[in-house]
Amino acid sequence: MVVLMQSGASEEQIQHVIDRLVSLGFDIHRSTGASHTVVGAIGVGPDFDPRDIEVLSGVREVVRVTQPYKLANRAFKAEDTIVHFPNGVCIGGPEIVVAAGPCAVESADQIEIIAARVAELGARILRGGAFKPRTSPYSFQGMGEPGLHLLRQAADRHGLLVVSEIMDASQLPLMQPLVDILQVGARNMQNYHMLRALGAARRPVLLKRGLSATIEELLLAAEYIMSGGNHNVILCERGIRTFETATRNTMDIAALPVIKKLSHLPVFADPSQGTGRRDQVAPMARAALAAGADGLLIEVHNDPERALSDGAQSLYFDQFAKLMSELRMIAPAVGRRLA
Amino acid sequence: MSVEDWRRKIDEIDRKLVELLNERSHCVVEIGKLKKTDGAPLYQPDRESEVLAGVERANRGPLSSAAIRRLFERILDEARSVERTIMQDEAARKARGE
Repeated sequence: MVVLMQSGASEEQIQHVIDRLVSLGFDIHRSTGASHTVVGAIGVGPDFDPRDIEVLSGVREVVRVTQPYKLANRAFKAEDTIVHFPNGVCIGGPEIVVAAGPCAVESADQIEIIAARVAELGARILRGGAFKPRTSPYSFQGMGEPGLHLLRQAADRHGLLVVSEIMDASQLPLMQPLVDILQVGARNMQNYHMLRALGAARRPVLLKRGLSATIEELLLAAEYIMSGGNHNVILCERGIRTFETATRNTMDIAALPVIKKLSHLPVFADPSQGTGRRDQVAPMARAALAAGADGLLIEVHNDPERALSDGAQSLYFDQFAKLMSELRMIAPAVGRRLA
Repeated sequence: MSVEDWRRKIDEIDRKLVELLNERSHCVVEIGKLKKTDGAPLYQPDRESEVLAGVERANRGPLSSAAIRRLFERILDEARSVERTIMQDEAARKARGE
């Protein structure tokens, strides 16, 4: 941690800061500059709150050098985390894993048609929401438990894994036997009560970045799950809220290499949520793969125009087929492969 | 003298500096033990100011006073660190009843 004193801070103020830091057990590295004095503190633990020092008089700024997250930190585990599934699929290894499916499960027919097609085109995971966190309470809220069963059955018929969103810790007993990956939506990324519950879950968790969450906040959310004992966390960039209105969200492609550097956890990208528009999904999917994503979450629908939710961002089957063949060409260029 | 000759001289001086710095650290270790016994605080800003003022007064250049001050701030930082280790060791020894 580095404490930058105000220019003109008195010797008493500087001494008081050093005194506090020394009594907290830190080693000090003082450097008196021409206008500012800088005090480096060495041996700062992750639970230390820098605001305790920031509020002292004469202090201009406190900068943490070490990150407050540990289990998710690459500094504590250099090798990539690979999440293994019983059917042999690995997330975080050389293979790019694609999860495809509708935004929401709408009927047995719909999910069956989609599962068959995406499996044929190379997807490994069937995505589909049974519980939908919609911005408006009047929008379609999902089929609930029956939707989960339909999703599971369709996936099993086509050798796919299932990822579906959990909205509340109370749904865990219902969902755990039916899904292979529990998805935490962007709106729930900081639902710490649920994250704690997922720490005790026996299923990998796909953790989406919140709409206005920093990368550090995302990694701290992962830390919540991991500190509970569940180390199989897959992070997911899904677009963040910016001033731009041409896209629904701004896909933060740069977050992918940043996260790969800071953390050993696998990272997915969700270009469907990330852009909110069908015509932008494929370019962002290609970019995400090239930027180091370990997998993609793509919304595909047999009849997007009549989809009950997020039809505008769902791909038609032929668009998904074209995208998959493009991804197959890009993957080897970045040392990866695609099923 | 050639560059090589000057560099040899610098190496010689550096070895003396290391020796002197360690000699200084021995004193710090003894002070650490006494401070632990007396229950005196590790950080004593008045004493550190006195040390810095003393070396600045003794400075004849070509290093500026500010440069001397910065160098000795680092020496004091390391001394504090040594003293902390000693005080912790002393406390641990007392706790074991030695």
